[in-house]
Amino acid sequence: MVSNVLTALVVGVGLGVFLQKGRFCFVHAFRDFFAFKDSRVTKAVLVATTLTMVFWSIAYALGYYQGFWTPDWGLTGLLGGFVFGVGMTYAGGCASGTLYRAGQGYLHFWLTLAFMGVGYAVFTVLFPTLESAYFEPLTFGTGVTLFEVSPVPAPLLALGVAGLVLLAYATIVGRSAAGGAGGTDDAAAVRADGGTPTSRGLGASAPAVGLRQFVAGTREYFRGFAEIDDWKAASKRPWDPRTAALGITALAVLWFTQVSIVGVTGPEARWTGYLLQQVGVDAGSYEYWGSILFQGKGVGLTVDMVMIAAVILGAFLAAFWSGDFSIRVPKRRRVPNAVVGGFMMGAGSRLAPGCNIGNIYSGLAELSVHSFIATAGIIAGVYAMTHWIYRDVGCAI
Amino acid sequence: MTGPSLDDFVEMPDEVDDETAEQLADQATETQDMTGEVCPYPQVEAKKAIQTLDSGELLVQETDHVPSTENVPRAVGDDADARVWRSGSGLYRIFLRKR
Repeated sequence: MVSNVLTALVVGVGLGVFLQKGRFCFVHAFRDFFAFKDSRVTKAVLVATTLTMVFWSIAYALGYYQGFWTPDWGLTGLLGGFVFGVGMTYAGGCASGTLYRAGQGYLHFWLTLAFMGVGYAVFTVLFPTLESAYFEPLTFGTGVTLFEVSPVPAPLLALGVAGLVLLAYATIVGRSAAGGAGGTDDAAAVRADGGTPTSRGLGASAPAVGLRQFVAGTREYFRGFAEIDDWKAASKRPWDPRTAALGITALAVLWFTQVSIVGVTGPEARWTGYLLQQVGVDAGSYEYWGSILFQGKGVGLTVDMVMIAAVILGAFLAAFWSGDFSIRVPKRRRVPNAVVGGFMMGAGSRLAPGCNIGNIYSGLAELSVHSFIATAGIIAGVYAMTHWIYRDVGCAI
Repeated sequence: MTGPSLDDFVEMPDEVDDETAEQLADQATETQDMTGEVCPYPQVEAKKAIQTLDSGELLVQETDHVPSTENVPRAVGDDADARVWRSGSGLYRIFLRKR
């Protein structure tokens, strides 16, 4: 137990540091990709998720793991994910982003956290009704991860998926490199004239071109470390999102072998029950807190609650060190974003269930069927909300 | 922008020192107070303002939101040249000169 608390502190503080220094934000990853095709953070999310999948599959195959998180799958993931995606885009931060920005001094995101708590509490009160009216009719199958059901050993499966992701990525990069500035037009022209030798040649070479760029870029990234002469100054500057992705992956592997997959809103919902218990509410008597979140073990502190609290601490330390910490008071017109967005994130993460970390990061990395659906729901929510917020200036996608 | 490529992973706007930041602030055609705002509102407001400026004119955003120092310049893209000033205490200025 003591070692688990220590692990929770190390993982939480570490995650806080890497999230803050890498500005690792899932809203940014999708919103800015839709709005103006900025794919920098999108790629960092892809790197982190894919690497984590490979390492987790190895840990699973070797037996060094504490269990998967595989909720039953169905339309709940799509609907709850959509509500969560709209909420996080409106609030301006995902579940993990809200945590590290709270540590950075944003009162906006403390307010978001508070209203996520309201979302968890309202959900808990309504849970008995929701169970029969929402979860039962919309759930189609038992939760499962492909690691457990695949006839192929998990590491091979993970490497196969990682290979496909890399190939798809290389093809996109290669196509745009081959097409130059007018890449999309060229690609459309190629599609239009179908099977001419030139177009087939381009199609075949695109992944190779992309792979070469990928290798060159990766090499350049690691060479960049050798060029750092003043490590103290470098540590204060913002870090490459890929550094954050690598750090997060390492911590997620440690967490997976010692405790569980990485989640944020589950522990937060437990925090809500725990804090209400402290002010006299009998949280354990509510079915959702008592028998589901705390699994009948009584309302108390769990290691994952310690871990996510440590994320706030880690983000504070990183921001303070970088000169990025300050108490930031939100503009009055942004208060509805924190209040409504936070509530939608809290409620949406319970309806799905799972947030961006549970589903997009951990869920995809453990190849959970539920999380594929929930990820689609979250991304659809971000897409819809981004188009609404950008309605005056237009989106690229 | 030519679509996704690895070099745009680490592209950052140039940073300016305190003195340059003061000089630039005096030249501003339009100044937006974006403190207390979070993404993506600074991006949206920057895009709106840049559309109304003439070539060579300068837009300044004052912000306390770290990610904005990167994604506001990227949001306006080729429409403006961007530079950023960091105070070292959580306040930033983004200078966008319309091309």
